[in-house]
Amino acid sequence: MVQEEKSTKIFLQLSEHLSSLKLTISLLLILAVVSIFGTVIPQNASPQEYLQFYKLPTYKILKILGLLDMYHAPWFFFLLGLLSLNLIFCSWKRFKSTWKILTSSIPREESSWQKLSPRGLFLTGSNEEEILMKVKKVLAQFYPPLKIQRAQHMLFLSAEKGKFSRWGVYFIHLSILVILTGALIGFYTGFRGHLNIKEGERADRIFLKNGQEIFFPGFSVHLENFSVSYYPTGVPREFKSVISIFENGQKILTVPILVNQPFSYKGIAFYQASYGIVGLKKVILDIEDLNSGRKFTLPAFLDKENIIPENSWSIRLNRFLPDFQGLGPALQINISDSQGPAENFLLLLNHPDFSAGEKAKKFRVRVKEWTPFYFSGLQVTKDPGVGVVWLGCSLMILGFYLTFFHTHRRLWMKLSAARNGFFLEIVPYSNRDRQNLEKELKELERSLLEEFSIPASGQKVKGEV
Amino acid sequence: MISAQLVRIVTFLYLGSSIIYITYMVFQLEKVAKIASRWTWIAFLLHSAAIIMRWIESYQMGIGHAPLTNMYESLVFYSWCITLLYLLWEKKMPSRLSGALVMPLAFFFIAYAALAPGVSAQIDPLIPALQSNWLHAHVLTCFLSYASFTISCALSILYLIKEGQKKEGQNNHQQNFGLENLETLIYKTIALGFPLLTIGIITGAGWANYAWGSYWSWDPKETWSLITWFIYALFLHARLRREWRGKRLAILSIVGFGAVLFTYFGVNYVLSGLHSYV
Repeated sequence: MVQEEKSTKIFLQLSEHLSSLKLTISLLLILAVVSIFGTVIPQNASPQEYLQFYKLPTYKILKILGLLDMYHAPWFFFLLGLLSLNLIFCSWKRFKSTWKILTSSIPREESSWQKLSPRGLFLTGSNEEEILMKVKKVLAQFYPPLKIQRAQHMLFLSAEKGKFSRWGVYFIHLSILVILTGALIGFYTGFRGHLNIKEGERADRIFLKNGQEIFFPGFSVHLENFSVSYYPTGVPREFKSVISIFENGQKILTVPILVNQPFSYKGIAFYQASYGIVGLKKVILDIEDLNSGRKFTLPAFLDKENIIPENSWSIRLNRFLPDFQGLGPALQINISDSQGPAENFLLLLNHPDFSAGEKAKKFRVRVKEWTPFYFSGLQVTKDPGVGVVWLGCSLMILGFYLTFFHTHRRLWMKLSAARNGFFLEIVPYSNRDRQNLEKELKELERSLLEEFSIPASGQKVKGEV
Repeated sequence: MISAQLVRIVTFLYLGSSIIYITYMVFQLEKVAKIASRWTWIAFLLHSAAIIMRWIESYQMGIGHAPLTNMYESLVFYSWCITLLYLLWEKKMPSRLSGALVMPLAFFFIAYAALAPGVSAQIDPLIPALQSNWLHAHVLTCFLSYASFTISCALSILYLIKEGQKKEGQNNHQQNFGLENLETLIYKTIALGFPLLTIGIITGAGWANYAWGSYWSWDPKETWSLITWFIYALFLHARLRREWRGKRLAILSIVGFGAVLFTYFGVNYVLSGLHSYV
């Protein structure tokens, strides 16, 4: 029994701590501060990259502290978990008092009514029926219909609006839990990888960063072609991969994938992320015979003897270099004719007027046009949690709308007979925005007095909100 | 370009507006406050014209897009949002004193766009990453929230100034009332800015998910926007505790604005990430 009491006590203490606003404030502060580390220390880089920045011991300490992948570190998860618990306990505690307010009714006893320090208005008239009608008419301009209860010689009236705004804060708190749940679902059941695929190539799986191999469920992806287009200023306008989906060797469909235009198939989404040049499909060369001055333009292909029949020259594209000393893609070619030895050239494809064949005596070569052979870098992801995250986000926006753009206002009123008329007492209540409630009340009182054609200056208004 | 010319004119008008508001702060003449408001309204209309003009010019160049896509355009738009919200709120404020703190900020940001050597006024075509309708919703909500926080920071500075004056003078009921009013206004500007920032972050996440396949990748810009979010969430919760009222809350709002500035500028200049265009 004692044991049980003890554990109940501990539980109560624990829930007291977990539901404290102090914990919320501390957690938000801690989360804000620790998140800064992750933006200053590069995340998820390779050890080599880190060792360029940091000394070995520093690197080791950072690694042990989990600061190199801190948003997935156990202690970061712990902080978010604690925040979730805090949210749940706080919301529950708060909800209990909110529920009390929402379901409370007008106190009938004079002493407890007076504790609410009502403000009073004297209304002239002898007929209760008539007075009630007038009060109803004025209040209808401000509030939905009144609830009326009769007790002895008195009438208790209550008017209320914006009650639903009370739910806003719980929606917001719940939405954070929903978003975190969605994130967890994605973290444990989803994946995120990168697929480099050459034009004409087909892939049926990807490799994740950690080396794990994941097959596409029953289909493969074939890159038909990749293209880049540019604005006249040379700024890229569009990156486009045209892919086909194959199932059991059959082409199912063909779609383009662009930046900002992904494609999703069987829960796996493909995004245009990067590209590169792996080779050359075709090059068109301008060749000048320096002896005769004759010029030719001809297409040439890699790894193939390109023969010009009438002159019996042959051009061989020996090697494609994706990047030659930072000058972009380059091409090594050699030209031979029936008489002499071959002449070698190095052509820079992005700088067509450059040709490293200065010793050449027989020919001058210039790149007229070339078609690169691309690979496309596709981001491949599966995230079953995304829907849950968006649900949470929608709930959050709804919550904000209710919380910040609506207020709960309530008036409790008591109408009792007095000498030569009636006395109307009002107890206003609002969870927020008391200034505006005060404004509304003044307006309401003015309208009431007008309705009863009493000059406003002649009235004494008792009490303030 | 006409639009760039207009931006330069607006810059000087905002400088004028700041000077008039500060004059009002010093001499407390209601007449001056009225002049300041009218002057600012005219400057604001020209500012709007400048943004529309730039939009039209981009279409004339054949690369039409909303002017929200680089540092220059975002600064001009940010300054516009600040002035817009200030003018809309001015009547609700107890006095126009805050203009003396808000308009210099609006001036500073547009001046930075117009005059800083590193910020180019050229209209560039849209790079593939920005070719999306998410752009408008994302930029609009983010900058309206930034502007809201800017005003709350200005009000907080005003609060601290008034609080300092109060301590020197006597404890006066009217002054206390002014401070309370100011605190409510700081809360209200944050109560607008916070949902807007939230929508800004959500639209950003939606866009990132659409363009890159991941709604959240802890990129420095994302993380800093979340840090800003944490700070304002802290503000809203701290307000529920009595000991946090007043001066501490005002300081917290200023710290929050510091985080906004770092999210906006610091990340671009100090840290690197996906968000390198703005």
